[in-house]
Amino acid sequence: MTADASFWIVQTLNALQLSMLLFLLSVGLTVIFGLLHFVNLAHGSLYALGAFVGVSASAFAGSYWAAFAVAPVAVALVGIVLYVALIRRMRNAGPMNQVLVTFGLIFVFLDLFRLGWGDIPLGMAEPDLFSGRTEFLGIVYPTYRLFIIGLGLVVLAALSLLLSRTQLGAIVRAGVDNGDMAACLGINVERVFFVVFCLGCALAGLAGAVAAPVLSVTTDMGTAILIPTLVVVVIGGLGSLRGAIAGSLLIGFVQTFGAVLAPQAAAVAVYALLAVVLILRPAGLFPARG
Amino acid sequence: MKLSRTWLSAAAALMLAVPATAHAKDYKVGLLLPYSGVYAALGKEIDQGFELALQTRLGEMAGSKIEIVREDTEVKPPVGLAKTRKLILQDQVDVMVGIVSSGVLGAIRDFVHQSGTPLIVANAGNDDATGARCSRFITRVSFSNGQVNRPMGDWLYNKGVRKVYTLAPDYAAGHQMIETFSAAFKAAGGTIVGGEFTPFRTTKDFGPYLTKAQSAGPDAIFVFYAGGEAISFVKQYASFGVADSVPLYGSGFLTSPLYVNAEGPAAKGVVTSLHYVPTIESPENAAFVKAFSAAYGHAPSEYAVQGYDAGQALVEAVKSGATDRAALAEALGKVRFTSPRGPVEIDPATNNIVQNIYIYETVQGDGTLTQKILDVAKAVRDPVSGCQK
Amino acid sequence: MFHQTPLKTGAVLLLATAAVVYAFTTGFFGLELLTEVAILAIVAIALDLVAGYGGMVSLCHGALYGVGAYAFASATVLLGWGGGAGMAMAVAGGGAFAWLIGAVSARTHGIFFIMATLAFGQMAYAYFFDSPLFGGSDGMPGIARLDLSGAGLDLNDSRGYALFCTVLALLAYALAATLLRSGFGRTLVGIRANEPRMRALGLPVWRHKAAAFGTSGALAGLAGALAAQHTMYVSPGLLHWTVSGELLIMVILGGLGTLVGAVLGAGVLVFVKHEVARFTDHWHMVVGLVLIATVLSGGRGIFGQIEFLWGRRGARRPEPAATEGSPDHA
Repeated sequence: MTADASFWIVQTLNALQLSMLLFLLSVGLTVIFGLLHFVNLAHGSLYALGAFVGVSASAFAGSYWAAFAVAPVAVALVGIVLYVALIRRMRNAGPMNQVLVTFGLIFVFLDLFRLGWGDIPLGMAEPDLFSGRTEFLGIVYPTYRLFIIGLGLVVLAALSLLLSRTQLGAIVRAGVDNGDMAACLGINVERVFFVVFCLGCALAGLAGAVAAPVLSVTTDMGTAILIPTLVVVVIGGLGSLRGAIAGSLLIGFVQTFGAVLAPQAAAVAVYALLAVVLILRPAGLFPARG
Repeated sequence: MKLSRTWLSAAAALMLAVPATAHAKDYKVGLLLPYSGVYAALGKEIDQGFELALQTRLGEMAGSKIEIVREDTEVKPPVGLAKTRKLILQDQVDVMVGIVSSGVLGAIRDFVHQSGTPLIVANAGNDDATGARCSRFITRVSFSNGQVNRPMGDWLYNKGVRKVYTLAPDYAAGHQMIETFSAAFKAAGGTIVGGEFTPFRTTKDFGPYLTKAQSAGPDAIFVFYAGGEAISFVKQYASFGVADSVPLYGSGFLTSPLYVNAEGPAAKGVVTSLHYVPTIESPENAAFVKAFSAAYGHAPSEYAVQGYDAGQALVEAVKSGATDRAALAEALGKVRFTSPRGPVEIDPATNNIVQNIYIYETVQGDGTLTQKILDVAKAVRDPVSGCQK
Repeated sequence: MFHQTPLKTGAVLLLATAAVVYAFTTGFFGLELLTEVAILAIVAIALDLVAGYGGMVSLCHGALYGVGAYAFASATVLLGWGGGAGMAMAVAGGGAFAWLIGAVSARTHGIFFIMATLAFGQMAYAYFFDSPLFGGSDGMPGIARLDLSGAGLDLNDSRGYALFCTVLALLAYALAATLLRSGFGRTLVGIRANEPRMRALGLPVWRHKAAAFGTSGALAGLAGALAAQHTMYVSPGLLHWTVSGELLIMVILGGLGTLVGAVLGAGVLVFVKHEVARFTDHWHMVVGLVLIATVLSGGRGIFGQIEFLWGRRGARRPEPAATEGSPDHA
């Protein structure tokens, strides 16, 4: 292997790209958990839904950007239905019941995808704007992957600002810290929960639409991404934005460089990492509260 | 779907053409395929092909009726085995057809063999199934993992390729396909400069592997991926621009007509080898493509032709006059007929099919991608590796 | 706290009777299903032991079950040991792996415990999937069943094997019930109810939890050995986390923390899945909806609901209520 500097730069970009995709997914899951104390195993299915809706939207409109716009909205709408019908009632039902209800949802979504889009894997084209490759620092890299990295950073920045600078952010932080106390202070936590849940779903849908041109769109893509996402969230610390960032980067880099340096161990590496973190820091690297 | 039992009656359809034999035997077929789970699309194609064959050649069976009992393996070996026991012990089928996953085939092999029920394998390509673990009751009309890839070794070397990097998913089929190709390529004089087996169905991002492959400086990359992984791989291969310096070759499942259009322009120019492509020019194939498209609304894939030929093999065995399980198994091990994929026969030494392997390039056709045949390796026969029937 | 109430005893006897009657009246495929139910019932009992009574919801019981199956397969096929030694190996293997998981994860709670078990289970899955020694993704064939011909039993006969598994499931129930009534079981329930207090009382909590999880794993390993002999073949799919998920479904469906419910849930899920699959390829959706409905309807599960109604109605004979969902309707 000719391991020159450009090789490692490209691999670092690969790791960043995967990290950002994981971040888009895990941030919604983690904030929903932190605020609503709700474990949503169907989060991966919402991501898959985003990809399927994206494929249909882009085929219908003939443009990638239709998928980019429609998928988050459509998934958020489905999220609203889920919230009203299920999530609201399940909030105080304990983690096991939540795990089970959302496990049931995974099954339901799986067959809905089969009924709606068939069993044959689908694909989606990249946007013309970001197709091809970009040359910089002596390397050539797919432009669309740079777009994913950029998008992840933009979402990250936006969420940080939202959380630290706006009233909604303050309420969310208060809710994560102590939901009962926030409610006592006259804050309509219920409405904030609802908004946050929809936002998390929209981000999952966005991740699906963004991932679709790189990956294939299959009925089991949601279950396949679920485990890495959960690992990110648990390693980072449930409910913590910083944790989601740290966890995504950690997993993205471990998976990518594991594949490069120790391919035989790559399949086990992520789980081993999770086990180690849970043993040493049972609440994750950046627990949302003390 | 699974409850459906299809009766095909030759007597009713061709009362005039064939004087109905008074005591024509009726046959019961257990069709064991994945109708749910990751291979559901493959199961459906094989099912459609099988039914089309029986309908097409109904008249040749001298008044025999064929009843099909369908069962779903869910692509789970234990489920596959339970359903096999049901079909053999409870439904008392005369012959079993199907099996997509090699894992399921491995699970049911011993039971099928001991029960003495003939099984026509319509997909699962594990080399061992017609090698070390072969059985005189198990006949394979699809392909073996080695068979599909072996011709590519010589062919690539003759095209001037000297150094190859290989990639495949880390499971039995991935290993067999790559190992057979590598052995053939090295025997021809080529060098394998490196290779990697990627975690099966958990690898979504091939970026790290592609970057690594490129840096190994090969003349070409040879891969095996199928289904969703194939789509991801081909698209990511194109997006990294590897195609400009290192062309992509592989096992034909990589650009199967079943999902090649999901790969889009990225698949153009990829050269692979497979036992069937819909563009084979022969009257048999033209008729098959026409009939299949008319019946099911889309062009047939290699999976459809495997199902179709499973049906054809059954018809041939029935025509030979075999009535019980043992005689059917015996007859199936000797059938030969003209398939849409060219002349085929079962090798009596292994019970694996002997067939042409087509080396084809995926090219732009009328609106959709199509297959341009570059070369044909005629009558490719697997070596008898440890098979003692 | 666990009580072997007359209702539970009645239900167990009824289920056992139903299983035996079914075994002698059904066809070959029914026997396959009955065997599957009996084997899964053992794992479900094992899972209910820790999840229902110890508060340790596990997503690795599929992996423990698979480890047991592989232990049996390796002992008999690779090492050439007898079936009895193979069974012992499976019990020991499942137990040891579970003890380790329990010991390491004892400090975590709630969703973190679930995730920790998930991680360990998936590690085992990835290991067996990639391991050439155990046949990798293709699994290991050629497993023989226990030879009990000395006792006049032919386990290669479908009915004989189904009844053998049913008896073992009954024994597993008896073992779990005895364990839960002992001081050990009471302590376990105490830890679930108030872990800090138990710790303050000077109890080595982690050791207790690990022992409970190990016992549960040993039972799961036993079931794994039975599954390996049932199919005479093992494959890594047994260890996948979705198997653990389906096991949790069984326990919840039947009634968490009732023990009888675990058995009932295994029966209902296997038979419902089979019946639904006869009519549609989309049985996933039906199972998913049933699961959601079960949790939404109060989450007591079938037997939990029966116990609840029974408790309200006061003492009456248990038989009429307990027949619901027993396997004899299929």
